[in-house]
Amino acid sequence: MITFIIRRLLITVVLVFFISIISFFIITLTPGSPYPWGELNPKISESVKENFRKQFHLDEPIWNQYWFNMRGLFTGELRSIKDGRPVLERITERLPATLALNLCAMTIALSFGLLVGIYSAKVSGQWQDTALSTVAFGFLAIPEFWVAYLLIIGLTAGFAVPLMGTVSHGILFPNALAASLDWLWHLALPATMLALGSIAVQSRYVRASMLETLREDYIRTAQAKGLSPEKVLYHHALRNSLRPLITGIGSLLPALIGGAVIIETIFAYPGIGRLGYQAVLERDYPTLVALNFITAMLVLIGNLLADVLYAVVDPRVRLE
Amino acid sequence: MVRFLVYGIPVLLVALLVTAFLTVISFSSDRKNELTIGSIGEPTRLNPIQSAESSASEVEQFIFESLLHFDQNLEVEPLLAKSYTQSQTTTITFRDPAALTTALTQVEMARASWPAWTLQKTQVEENSLLLEFSLPGLDASEKVFALFDPATTLPFTTLRAETGGKAREILKQFQALDPAPAIVRTWFDYDAAFEITVLGDGTEVLARLKDFLAAEKLPHATASVLETRAFLAEPSVNFVLRQDVHWHDGEPFTSRDVVFTYNSIMDETVASPRKPDFDLIQTLTAPNPHEVHITYRKPYSPALNSWMIGLLPAHILEGKPTSWWNDEFNRHPVGTGPFKFSDWKTNESLRVVRNADYWQGAPWLDAVVFRYLPDPVSIRIAFMTRQTDFWGVDPWAVASFKEDPRFQVFRYPANQYNYVGWNLRNPLFQDVRVRTAFAHAVNVPEMIKYILYGNGVQSNGIFPPHFWFSDPSQKPISYDPKLAAKLLDEAGWVPGTDGIRVKDGKRLAFTLIVNQGNEVRKDIATIVQDNLRTVGAEVDVAIYEWAVFISRFINKLEFDATVLGWSTGPDYDAYQVWHSSQTNPGQLNFVGYNNPKVDALLSQIRQEYDPVKIKSLAGQIQKTIFDDQPYLFLFVPDATSVIWNDSFRICRPDGQGGFVDTPVEITKAGWSYYMQWFYRPDFSKNLPSERKIKTLLP
Repeated sequence: MITFIIRRLLITVVLVFFISIISFFIITLTPGSPYPWGELNPKISESVKENFRKQFHLDEPIWNQYWFNMRGLFTGELRSIKDGRPVLERITERLPATLALNLCAMTIALSFGLLVGIYSAKVSGQWQDTALSTVAFGFLAIPEFWVAYLLIIGLTAGFAVPLMGTVSHGILFPNALAASLDWLWHLALPATMLALGSIAVQSRYVRASMLETLREDYIRTAQAKGLSPEKVLYHHALRNSLRPLITGIGSLLPALIGGAVIIETIFAYPGIGRLGYQAVLERDYPTLVALNFITAMLVLIGNLLADVLYAVVDPRVRLE
Repeated sequence: MVRFLVYGIPVLLVALLVTAFLTVISFSSDRKNELTIGSIGEPTRLNPIQSAESSASEVEQFIFESLLHFDQNLEVEPLLAKSYTQSQTTTITFRDPAALTTALTQVEMARASWPAWTLQKTQVEENSLLLEFSLPGLDASEKVFALFDPATTLPFTTLRAETGGKAREILKQFQALDPAPAIVRTWFDYDAAFEITVLGDGTEVLARLKDFLAAEKLPHATASVLETRAFLAEPSVNFVLRQDVHWHDGEPFTSRDVVFTYNSIMDETVASPRKPDFDLIQTLTAPNPHEVHITYRKPYSPALNSWMIGLLPAHILEGKPTSWWNDEFNRHPVGTGPFKFSDWKTNESLRVVRNADYWQGAPWLDAVVFRYLPDPVSIRIAFMTRQTDFWGVDPWAVASFKEDPRFQVFRYPANQYNYVGWNLRNPLFQDVRVRTAFAHAVNVPEMIKYILYGNGVQSNGIFPPHFWFSDPSQKPISYDPKLAAKLLDEAGWVPGTDGIRVKDGKRLAFTLIVNQGNEVRKDIATIVQDNLRTVGAEVDVAIYEWAVFISRFINKLEFDATVLGWSTGPDYDAYQVWHSSQTNPGQLNFVGYNNPKVDALLSQIRQEYDPVKIKSLAGQIQKTIFDDQPYLFLFVPDATSVIWNDSFRICRPDGQGGFVDTPVEITKAGWSYYMQWFYRPDFSKNLPSERKIKTLLP
């Protein structure tokens, strides 16, 4: 197991190196330039642009640029071309909001997914199951931005309730509790929208796995022992049917800090998704390099983690 | 237990959501004493000498102040300067003292016969006559010079040396030669070139300079004569500063701050986009803490407008490294304005708070908050839920707000115009009849009606009609497809079998490029395509992302025609967009317009200080370019905004120690001109006592 982890870590390092090279070239070979002012600004002379290029090493060969970016990333010196601030600072200042949003979305997705999945398994084959399946597939098929806009239109047509950003502006809240509920409100809507699709997916997973487990011999034994159906379902069946969810944990890690460009944009939420999206539009190479690097790392480590966890919970799996 | 969790957590989550919703709803009518502005564009840095985007100046206008600014009628008015005076020193050098003495008497005799005499003082320095005029410009100097025999004077010659870097260093070594070359004035074009002005025809110095450059082994360096003038004209401006102004940290504002701001702009490492505006300054000195004296290398009247730049605090920034990314100050700016910077959450909001010690009197609002929202939909929602107090509403949505008593709508002409630019290098567009025909064929009034919903006027040339120097007698081109067809016939383009006109076997077909993300321009392209089809021209429309659009097509001059717009301040200097020297790749005259008459007028208007003459020259420029139709001039759109009715009023100083109370009103500079004096009628705690306020009835 230890050698497995070490070997995988080494492969990860090599992979990240190649990913960083490929993504850097894709980014820099895109047409366009990263000037922080409009391209057609009569006031910007050619020599000002030259000076600017020099400051960000944009006048050097692409290999040197790659080197400056990677070195800067590791020394923390890498600065955004857009506003001149350290890239890591720009990313970390988004972390609290992003983490809050993603954790909230995951909590909603898992708790409702579990609830709906278990219930569907319990009533499998009956009309409630069919209804829930239809709704679940509906949420998978409908684009989230459309649902989000419907929700927004519905809420703002009925009530003048603030929706955008992380907190309300211009409103005087009497105490910290009210203010934190305001924050929660602004968090809840985008998180729910993000979670809609996952609820559907998770509930299908749980339902399928639950039904499979319920057909096992030990379940029949438990039932034969005279245990109540509830006890069998929640105590004996649930634990084993959660195994497939472990695979999902691998993708949880990158998803925790991952951005959700569309939902963040609709709700004007200042998350990492919008940071990355703007960086693409502005050709802010350093920010993109850092974001790509971090995401690649998290995906690879997440996969490794999932493999290891799988071996831990399922003794039948052996890592070589 | 497990069962409890499976059901309990979802129930708890729903309960929390409902509680949060009810809390927010119940408090949403308790307002803070703030003004919230919603905006899509977010600044990158708040430093007036480094930022060039309008989203930054929108915030900077609350924090920073300048020596001069535009008043509500877009006319120049002193702000941090108490007053300013312009003048000019003209130096005429004579070959011998006797000629100088004669000249002096000639000047004295002429004085009586000229009624509008701007010559203030004459002074003699060795063989030179120094004339001080109360108005800068070349006219008066030329008039005086005409009195003398040119043979008795020595001209001034300006030499230019292209060094390709290290210009300062090279000139220093050249000046250190023995005997030192007699240089009167120097100027550096960044570090790539220098210009030196010498007395006489400059042949001797030019020869020495060439030898020097060769001896220094600078093979790529060249030197040549730039121009020869009969006299040296150096305009100057003297600013007297206010003494009652303090920075947000309490330090007094003095001339040291002006000097520091200027030096920072000129510092190469700052890479200030404003530098070209200040390159013409010969000297900038501060004789005392409350006065700044500036002399310019040559007459250039728009130079005064460059002092509308926000000033930086020397006591904070002096001695710090001035590299582009000195981000600490740029993210925490300190100025002298009515509001102090408070905090900035990227992609969310930026807050400036009331400066209680503001020299014009503290503002009434506690804070002004900028909310940065990603798209027009979120801006609209934020406004409708009263999360922002005003909205720069799109033209198509204005109508519904006009009839709604809850809102107040403002409409005023924007400082911009939209056009279709023809690439004049393309043989298709070289015939003025073809360009004029296209202009007649495109239905601009219909465009204004259907794209802008009537919120705009047809453009009559390069200056929007509401600028003071714009010529109102210039009529926009008429919609007349018959005339267009006739002009195309005359130009030799005859309809082919498929209805598209042909000339010499070539079809009248081209590609019109538009940038992605601008719906108005996309609509324009569609209408142009449709309208030109009716007169027998085939137009392909291609849409590209902005960065690609600029770098791949416009800057490389590789396009047939393009839909674009210019945003411009009330500035009559259109040199960079229209002068024939600006047609290289990456420059702004990308359509390749070249008219010697316009070139001459553009050079002349920059040197003119008399408003009457500026207006007449601007009119000629506008007419000449309009007759050439290098652009298809489309329209000047209106800027439209909407605010919640009765949410704000204005209480502004009347200039006599009291205040004037008015509803929010529209000025030539837009409805937000007095924004620093906005107040909420439901919050009167900061307002001055009753008797000092005069209320103007609407």
